[in-house]
Amino acid sequence: MQINRTGIGLIAFFLIFGAAFAVVPFLLGIDGEATAIFASIGLIWVVVAIGLALYARRARDKAAHQDQVFRTGIKGTATVRDAGSHVTVNEMPLMSLQLDLDIPGVGSRQVSHREVMPVFAADRMAPGLVLPAYFNPADPGDFILVW
Amino acid sequence: MGDAAASLSSFAAAHGLEPVPVLAAGPLTPLLVESGAGRIEPAAQGQLGDGVSGALGRLVYTRNKTFRFAVALTEVPASTPFVPRLFCVRAGRHTRDDEFYGFEARYSRLWTESVALNDRYRIAISPYQDENWLRQLFSPAFVDWLASDAPESFSFELAYGALLCSTEDADPDEAALAGLAAATAAVTRRIRRECEE
Repeated sequence: MQINRTGIGLIAFFLIFGAAFAVVPFLLGIDGEATAIFASIGLIWVVVAIGLALYARRARDKAAHQDQVFRTGIKGTATVRDAGSHVTVNEMPLMSLQLDLDIPGVGSRQVSHREVMPVFAADRMAPGLVLPAYFNPADPGDFILVW
Repeated sequence: MGDAAASLSSFAAAHGLEPVPVLAAGPLTPLLVESGAGRIEPAAQGQLGDGVSGALGRLVYTRNKTFRFAVALTEVPASTPFVPRLFCVRAGRHTRDDEFYGFEARYSRLWTESVALNDRYRIAISPYQDENWLRQLFSPAFVDWLASDAPESFSFELAYGALLCSTEDADPDEAALAGLAAATAAVTRRIRRECEE
């Protein structure tokens, strides 16, 4: 997953308005109960913004790691044995794939792999489909599937 | 709407295409996914150009507001190993009006190497695309054609061998349909040729 412009806008919205809700009532000297309500809402929004930002940073770090595996990894193949999805994330299926991995110099193994894909890609995932895969030489269990 | 259907019908008759009331293409490319069912309606199937067969028709759907495209669908199955995904979409095109999600699957990145194309298109490719192959596909002649001679509002999406070309034309006349068919055939042949080399 990766953050998009809408996500950046959401983080900015929750952070700015959350901070404003938390601080402005104090500055304006509004009575205690109203200030507490606004401050609570503001703090929750700030926490949401921080959570989204941390998730976005984690996604960025994961993407950087995947790029590194792509650049330096061993190229092999992954054959889809089974594919299905019961969950969607932001209108995109979370695919559960059963894969037969063929890693040059290492051997074969079967793994389960989950990945969020756009519908047009998920629709192509069918038993027998052979996809390129790149494996981390230090840890063949760490791989990227090129779909 | 009647005019567009009539134009398609006359175009089909003049060019030997077979009219099809509805072509259920399915979710083959992002635009077809956005449309929901991926129904090209009405449509006509047959030869779109020299050695290129496919379907031509209208794609209409509503996501808060109604979007209307003239589309042409062909196949280049040999492209999948070389370029699983290639989206060359007119800069500024909107295909939905109800986008509220802040996170999306990381399935594409922008390719901005061709300055000539950047003004008119946004080109997105797989994060793991072989860029040398892409540079060969976008030869100077192809870039020049896309930048200067492709029909107005033209875009194309190639996903796993399915090629959907489109224009943002709500009511295309016969000349517009002919332009789209010719452009689709040209893009199909260009991708095919590069796959064969």
